[in-house]
Amino acid sequence: MRVLIVGAGISGLFIAYELVKKGVKQVTVVDESYPGSGATLRNLGCFRSSFTSPEHVVLMKESISEWLRLRDELGIKLEQRGYLWVARRPETVEVFRRLVGFHHDYGIPTRIMDVDEVRELEPGINYRIIAGAMFDPTAGRMPILENFIKLYLRVKSLGVRVLPHTRVLKLEGRGDRVTKAVTSRGDIEADVFVVAAGGGSRRILKTVGVDVPIVDIPRHPLVTEPYLEALRSALVIDWDTPGSPHITQNEHGSLILARDLEDTPEASIYSQRVDAFSHIAKPLIELLPFLAKVNIVRYWMGYYDMTPDHHPIYGPLPPYENLYIAAGFSGHGMMMGPVTGKLITSWILDGKPYIDVANNLTVERFKTGRLVKELAVIG
Amino acid sequence: MGGEVVPRSKEVTIVCRCNDVTLDDVVKAIEAGIDDFELLRRYLRLGFGPCQGRSCIAIAARVFARATGKSLNEVLANYRVRPPIVPVSMKVLVRGVKV
Repeated sequence: MRVLIVGAGISGLFIAYELVKKGVKQVTVVDESYPGSGATLRNLGCFRSSFTSPEHVVLMKESISEWLRLRDELGIKLEQRGYLWVARRPETVEVFRRLVGFHHDYGIPTRIMDVDEVRELEPGINYRIIAGAMFDPTAGRMPILENFIKLYLRVKSLGVRVLPHTRVLKLEGRGDRVTKAVTSRGDIEADVFVVAAGGGSRRILKTVGVDVPIVDIPRHPLVTEPYLEALRSALVIDWDTPGSPHITQNEHGSLILARDLEDTPEASIYSQRVDAFSHIAKPLIELLPFLAKVNIVRYWMGYYDMTPDHHPIYGPLPPYENLYIAAGFSGHGMMMGPVTGKLITSWILDGKPYIDVANNLTVERFKTGRLVKELAVIG
Repeated sequence: MGGEVVPRSKEVTIVCRCNDVTLDDVVKAIEAGIDDFELLRRYLRLGFGPCQGRSCIAIAARVFARATGKSLNEVLANYRVRPPIVPVSMKVLVRGVKV
């Protein structure tokens, strides 16, 4: 079976990895730029299962256990140091209590922290302006650049053909089958096609008359010079400030700061916004005053490939029998990488996803109107 | 382009002073199969420090170009300098905010 995967990001490479492990011999992955050049190498490297929809919770729990297993299999590195959602307003703590109840129903051990506990965990926090927090000890962060490159090297060593700088101009179909991809470097025929190209998936799928509602929304993170341990948790989120400012410290000591910024959908990945700096810095300096003394060394942009319900689109794309999608992760594609690989592989080889709840995430939901409900989309 | 780089010892030839990357690190990463300069940069964190790659990028790109037979233009096609050009203190961004 020849499989062509469009998109050499974390999703595409994990799909290739799982297919090869299941014995599929001829797997090709194309990317219009270098491997990982989309959201894969532009995200903050943070992961959690403490979402507010059953679909995200179940799939993310599975994905985290896969990431943990991959420590041995791929030499993956990760740390579960927890997410800390900080409430500035007392009523937000009540919202957290309801979320904790939901998480406990799904076996995720989040808990409420009072101000003293928050101070103990994160001594740098300005405790005068907070009312409490919610903590998820199973959430964490990873050196995503290093982990992705390990996956890339392994996938290549297993015989997967990865063709970077190869742009898919269009797909061609006949009846209920896609027959080939026309690329900037010639035609590629295959028996199965998988589109895992983030927001670019929409353009590619339009060429065979399939519409997927994915829009690239720009994100703007800042990174600082390295410092000794400044944060103990993997991610601190300022829940009550618009745009949910958040901060993480990577394994090299650099702090990475971000906050949602009103921006033009689909804006160029190089349309830098100088106002992003103070927009992000202000609330986080209020929350963590030591930040006033740190230096920002760099700023970059990336996309959240957003769907209307902020959940990915998985699975087959009717009317075609041999066309699949894994895209629209809305900011969670990196953490879902391993489960994405196994889900799409089971769909291709067994005709159904190995986890039932993934059936709720097919493109059909946008026709039937049965969208997934999610309260919080952060990191 | 200058002449061939003939290091006395690859282990102690520093390519990136911000992140202590040696010539040996670069050579080993290429040998391990890293075949795109943007992946090499992200693997070794070249250009990630306060100097924004002012010295390491030119050196590493030349080593990479020679090892892979690619032209320098091709190697650097996806490289972008990112703001700020020099490190900026957070406090200058938030004048007027009480901290």
